[in-house]
Amino acid sequence: MGLINNIKSYSETLNLSEEKRGQLNSFLDEGFPTIKDEDWKYTSLKKIITEDFSIENKVGNVSDSDITNHSLGFENQLIFVDGKLISSPKIKGLTIDGFTDFESRNNNAIMNLNASICNNGFSITIDKNIVIEEIIEILFFTTTKNNFSQYRNQITVGENSEIKFVEKIQNLNNSTSFVNYFTQINCDKNTNVEFNKIQNNTSNSILIDNVDVYQKSDSTCAVNTLIFGGNFTRNNLNFEQNGSNCESNMNGVSVLDNNQFADNHTFVDHKSAHCRSNEMYKGVYLGKSKGVFNGKIMVRPNAQKIDAFQSNNNLLLSDDSSIDSKPQLEIYADDVKCSHGCTIGQLDDDALFYMRSRGIGIEEAKAVLTYAFASEAIENISVEPVKLLAQNLLAQKLNVDLDFSL
Amino acid sequence: MLTIKNLKAGIEDNQILKGINLEIKAGEVHAIMGPNGSGKSTLSAVIAGNEDYEVESGNITFNEEDLLDLSPEERAHKGVFLSFQYPVEIPGISVSNFIKTSINEKRKAQGLDPMPAKDLLKMMKGKMELLDIKKGYLSRNMNEGFSGGEKKRNEIFQMAMLEPKLSILDETDSGLDIDALRIVANGVNKLKSDDNATIVITHYQRLLDYIIPDFVHVLYNGRIIKSGGKELAHELEEKGYDWITKEADKQWA
Repeated sequence: MGLINNIKSYSETLNLSEEKRGQLNSFLDEGFPTIKDEDWKYTSLKKIITEDFSIENKVGNVSDSDITNHSLGFENQLIFVDGKLISSPKIKGLTIDGFTDFESRNNNAIMNLNASICNNGFSITIDKNIVIEEIIEILFFTTTKNNFSQYRNQITVGENSEIKFVEKIQNLNNSTSFVNYFTQINCDKNTNVEFNKIQNNTSNSILIDNVDVYQKSDSTCAVNTLIFGGNFTRNNLNFEQNGSNCESNMNGVSVLDNNQFADNHTFVDHKSAHCRSNEMYKGVYLGKSKGVFNGKIMVRPNAQKIDAFQSNNNLLLSDDSSIDSKPQLEIYADDVKCSHGCTIGQLDDDALFYMRSRGIGIEEAKAVLTYAFASEAIENISVEPVKLLAQNLLAQKLNVDLDFSL
Repeated sequence: MLTIKNLKAGIEDNQILKGINLEIKAGEVHAIMGPNGSGKSTLSAVIAGNEDYEVESGNITFNEEDLLDLSPEERAHKGVFLSFQYPVEIPGISVSNFIKTSINEKRKAQGLDPMPAKDLLKMMKGKMELLDIKKGYLSRNMNEGFSGGEKKRNEIFQMAMLEPKLSILDETDSGLDIDALRIVANGVNKLKSDDNATIVITHYQRLLDYIIPDFVHVLYNGRIIKSGGKELAHELEEKGYDWITKEADKQWA
């Protein structure tokens, strides 16, 4: 019983290489992290891993309407059903393959688990000197009940190329699903990449989402994370800058209610001089929801002239919601500009009265102010339908019928 | 249109309004003047429904309806509008979006469909001309980084858009230079009709040179101690408040 035992028995049916066997054993020795680990201090997997998840995927069926209902409807869609790639777009300069193994540099227990027995995912390679105008939409559907699944993806962007993604993981049944997800993004020189994550899964979904971004000089990469759904979400977003004039951007919006939990752990490793990072996370907490933010910025000894900005703003809209927020700056260079700020607050009563006196009902006024609060991060997203989706989901979550656009 | 009877109200245990009586009919302009701390802003806040203030006794009826029973948004839907002395900054919401939301919320309460965006923009354009507001203003965030004068002009712009029955202008002249004052007053005068009424709350007589009141009331220590025609404002400008307040102090001592 329990997830670890199920993983163990599943792995015995596999013919693993010595290396993968080693990775698995090191996961099995260590187990899932507990709140004794500094990085998991406020985030407990204890209850989750006692559940009896099945590991094997049976590939189910997904109807066209499922796809329409759960996608933003972009023309170029990469669609996975229970780990199997069923559809992939054909675009000049873009090579898309199913699971292709690669080595990752991150080797904590969860990444070892992913590296050892994961055999699903994609590999996308973008040629040099190509600007892909079309948005690539990546959809992962799960139809198997009480399923533990893993994905291992790699995106490699060639020199001087540009591309944008929208990604979503969707459970199509009401059972608990657990996804351990990993994407490595390699940005070559002078590339521009935007990756939008829509985390709006069913109310009993569990997600550990790991993203490692490696940047070379003159590259810009943005990862935007919208958390509206799911029961438990842990994001580990890591940037490593190797080369001058890199820019790393992170925008996050979490709007949680009931018993939802979401943890955003970010890490920017400034290894080279003359680089920038901008980080803006906005959290809105209703009901008994709980959030965690941990933003680590490391500036290595030779990484001079770094401009790093981090902000984490939180709105607690109920008595029982909570947030643990921790900025973590380690600066070993002396000529850098690093700023960070963290706020935890409520809606401004004066502003609420002002709006009510203009005929805007109290719930709508709260929604407008909440939208105004989150909009700074939403506005940084360049893909218009994603912005619109964020606005609609926010209105839905706050139970108002409002359109924030004009 | 508005009838206030023996209104007593305050914040927590501090009684600020000590029995206000006021009758305002459609088509009228009333000025409420008085020294600092006399309760002018409290009166406007209570009419608009600010929940920070507690009404102890008395009543306010607005077109035969008990106003005190209504929430601030319901009062707005019925046609009450308060131009704030200190308009609130709301970063993240554009002026156009804010006004669109308030107009459509009012329409929703009246059982109407949202105003089509095209009509709304046309209406905004017209009202902007009326108040000499420059292009680009609509996309700015609500009052964020606005100068004092711009904030006040924005209040009157909202008033023009919402077309209220009763407008309360709380110290609208403060922070306005003479040109802005003229434009704002001109806007208010053009919006005046036989169906709506205006309460102008002000310290100085200056604004009343541009918005001519039918009645002037002096509020002092939570009571209206003198009422008269527009000539009363001139008298106050000349003689100050002392000559009336001393008498009142004696009477209520």
